[in-house]
Amino acid sequence: MSSTKIQIRGQPLFKVLTRNHRMINSVVCGVPIKRQHRVSNVLRTSDPPLGSVPTRTDESQFLRGDGNGRFGRFGGKFVPETLMSPLRDLEDEFDFVLNDHEFQEELTTALRDYVGRETPLYFAGRLTEHYKNISQTTGGGPEIYLKREDLSHCGSHKINNALGQAMIARRLGCKRVVAATGAGQHGVATAAACAKLSMECTVFMGTTDIEKQSSNVLSMKLLGAQVKSVEGTFKDASSEAIRNWVGNLETTYYLSGTVVGPHPSPLMVREFQSVIGKETRRQAKQLWGGKPDVLVACVGSGSNALGLFHEFLGDEDVRLVGVEAAGLGLDSGKHSATLAVGDVGVYHGSMSYLLQDDQGQILKPHSIGVGLEYPGVGPEISFLKESGRAEFYTATDQEAVQACMLLSRLEGIIPALEASHALAFLDKLVPTLRDGAKVVVNCSGRGDKDLDTLIQRGMPSSLC
Amino acid sequence: MATSGTASTFRPSVSASSRLTHLRSPPSKVPLFTPLPSSRSRSFSVSCTIAKDPTFLMAEAENTKTAGSDPTLWKRPDSFGRFGKFGGKYVPETLMHALSELETAFYSLATDDDFQRELAGILKDYVGRESPLYFAERLTEHYRRENGEGPLIYLKREDLNHTGAHKINNAVAQALLAKRLGKKRIIAETGAGQHGVATATVCARFGLQCIIYMGAQDMERQALNVFRMRLLGAEVRGVHSGTATLKDATSEAIRDWVTNVETTHYILGSVAGPHPYPMMVRDFHAVIGKETRRQAMEKWGGKPDVLVACVGGGSNAMGLFHEFVDDTEVRMIGVEAAGFGLDSGKHAATLTKGDVGVLHGAMSYLLQDDDGQIIEPHSISAGLDYPGVGPEHSFLKDMGRAEYYSVTDEEALEAFKRVSRLEGIIPALETSHALAHLEKLCPTLPDGARVVLNFSGRGDKDVQTAIKYLEV
Repeated sequence: MSSTKIQIRGQPLFKVLTRNHRMINSVVCGVPIKRQHRVSNVLRTSDPPLGSVPTRTDESQFLRGDGNGRFGRFGGKFVPETLMSPLRDLEDEFDFVLNDHEFQEELTTALRDYVGRETPLYFAGRLTEHYKNISQTTGGGPEIYLKREDLSHCGSHKINNALGQAMIARRLGCKRVVAATGAGQHGVATAAACAKLSMECTVFMGTTDIEKQSSNVLSMKLLGAQVKSVEGTFKDASSEAIRNWVGNLETTYYLSGTVVGPHPSPLMVREFQSVIGKETRRQAKQLWGGKPDVLVACVGSGSNALGLFHEFLGDEDVRLVGVEAAGLGLDSGKHSATLAVGDVGVYHGSMSYLLQDDQGQILKPHSIGVGLEYPGVGPEISFLKESGRAEFYTATDQEAVQACMLLSRLEGIIPALEASHALAFLDKLVPTLRDGAKVVVNCSGRGDKDLDTLIQRGMPSSLC
Repeated sequence: MATSGTASTFRPSVSASSRLTHLRSPPSKVPLFTPLPSSRSRSFSVSCTIAKDPTFLMAEAENTKTAGSDPTLWKRPDSFGRFGKFGGKYVPETLMHALSELETAFYSLATDDDFQRELAGILKDYVGRESPLYFAERLTEHYRRENGEGPLIYLKREDLNHTGAHKINNAVAQALLAKRLGKKRIIAETGAGQHGVATATVCARFGLQCIIYMGAQDMERQALNVFRMRLLGAEVRGVHSGTATLKDATSEAIRDWVTNVETTHYILGSVAGPHPYPMMVRDFHAVIGKETRRQAMEKWGGKPDVLVACVGGGSNAMGLFHEFVDDTEVRMIGVEAAGFGLDSGKHAATLTKGDVGVLHGAMSYLLQDDDGQIIEPHSISAGLDYPGVGPEHSFLKDMGRAEYYSVTDEEALEAFKRVSRLEGIIPALETSHALAHLEKLCPTLPDGARVVLNFSGRGDKDVQTAIKYLEV
């Protein structure tokens, strides 16, 4: 990727002060960004092919999306005209920082010293043994490794992205950051990053979520953020946050927490999260001299999943498995299994699968893992499903709780209920794998925030 | 760690079957520690010798003589588990064998490559070490004086460890040690629950049976931690005797250990207790200081100028200090809890306001009244709420090698809020005491002095408490 920014040696890098900063030449993924963008903020239920399909022949390049923020027919930039200019600025800035040595060094140092990277790739010996005993095989059984994003500062993978984007916000001269949060993890990560970089922070959160994740709300306030409650859940908080951003474009940066939204959000968030997969490749090489056989991650909107998967998209011998929330069951109507039962449409600025009724109205999602409770999913995830590169399954609330308790008891790690969905799927996955298959599960967060929820569900007698 | 009601919980005695084979004189009954009348002076020193063997007395005098200003000559500890006159092994006879066994096992494992490799692997992949040495830019800026000068503040991020504090370093190592000893059963006591959670965590990881003793009152106040321990597979036994708090839980745990010593290992959470615990726990936490030395060399090509850590029992402080004790140009500062104030009588500032005595098997400073009864301590932070302190800290204080100050609840809460806002890291209330002391320390430091503060734990557990007091 090239850049036209010229830095004269020895002189301080010209700091971006105004929102009118433009890059003459912007390149993303090897394709120049076209200046004409299609604006359409129409919510559709049918899906005629939109935009052109990239003509690259390199399969792995194709899987990474084109310069318009499209992943096949998914993605795009379905936003009001007022947002086109700031989104372009953001694209330009992001493109620049990807190659800017100073930015990358500052980010790497912060990820190492502030966030605590690299996170370990931990061999879960007792969990592996547990599955071996169940299957009663004579062989070794598959080996289960956990990518420990739960050890990151603030307790989940969310900080990787919050930090990177907060640094961009500062470069763009924004004084204020707004964000929306479901479980609160993204809210806490954003509040923390803003405190560190001395920026104001406002976090929007749904009233139902505030009740369920009250400790995260308190943490955000302590970190100096303002928490504004919005009637409903994450999707409503998102809409409100975007509204707030649009009303204050000059001074405010909208920090998206996941791989949804208009281009360049899905791309940016994925890039910042891709450190997870990059480390995993290196650690797998060190630990067993090869690659993982299967990667498993929970999917709400898809940020932790893409963070792990992205590095391996071009490795056809690595299976990618995403696990969504089946809530009270796919037939109950109370779930968040967007890819399983959703249809394609446009939501929050991009085209992707979403949970909608026959009139194109968004359905209210449910999951015990609040971070998975989203009626949409990232466009890149939709594309991975459609292209067949990744497989997607579901796990119910009950299965997730069981998996949480199992890992706690066997490994002394209390996983977040979101990550527990990925762990729950091991019950079905592991019996199908060969001996010695290496499974890497993204332990995307720790479960301290979920203790109240677990207590409310009551203590099964097997625990005491 | 717990208060036990009286200073002389353990009756020191020597019997013929004692492992202290170097004692040549016949076994003698050692006088119980009896407090002097109230007219005693501050310089009163307790001599509670284990035997009348003159060789022993000479060895002690030897130790004190050579223990001048050269730390490299200090025995930390000597073969009796003493740091100067502090430390020792004031325990019932039934525990002597277990302690000796522990000591032997500890020494042999120190040179056992397999054990060290396994421990290093667990610390890396399970606990998440090494923890970063983080340059706190905004905190440094906060302490910058008007002329632009000021110290540089670095935080040793023990809060990033699995379970959120330094405690796991020791818990993991002791659990591994217990497994090596063939013990299948682990016990511990806990007050607020943090040590209990760390113990339950490692027991789950190693497949060991885990029993945590907790005062019934504490169980009510800390329902979330009780649930956490149960979720991790531990059995939490409520103790209803006495005031149903930490000191009663400790007594119960010790009773259990005495009864089941063959099958059971007692995971002590701090550098207090009878030898070899202070030495063992310190050595298991010493990884903090070792990493700091290496990281300081990488970052600025030198050593820290000042080390700061909060002191309850003293484990996180010893973990950071131990590596640097011989480097006399490195200043070491411990910060205790002054609670409602040193004059209020409601604090836990053992080294500032305490006197020497024996508690929980070791001689050290402790908070006691004129009759030698333990004074109930107070601190807003449960982890500092201990009326004693590790014997090595008492030694370092008396030798003038380390300095000890204290910070009130209010100052700690202010620091809690300040650091959350400035660095986006919520410190544990315990750690907040060390952070609060920076307010007094930094104005006195020369320009460019490098301060390393042990960020011993994260504050998620304290958010509910702090919110009650802070306007947020």
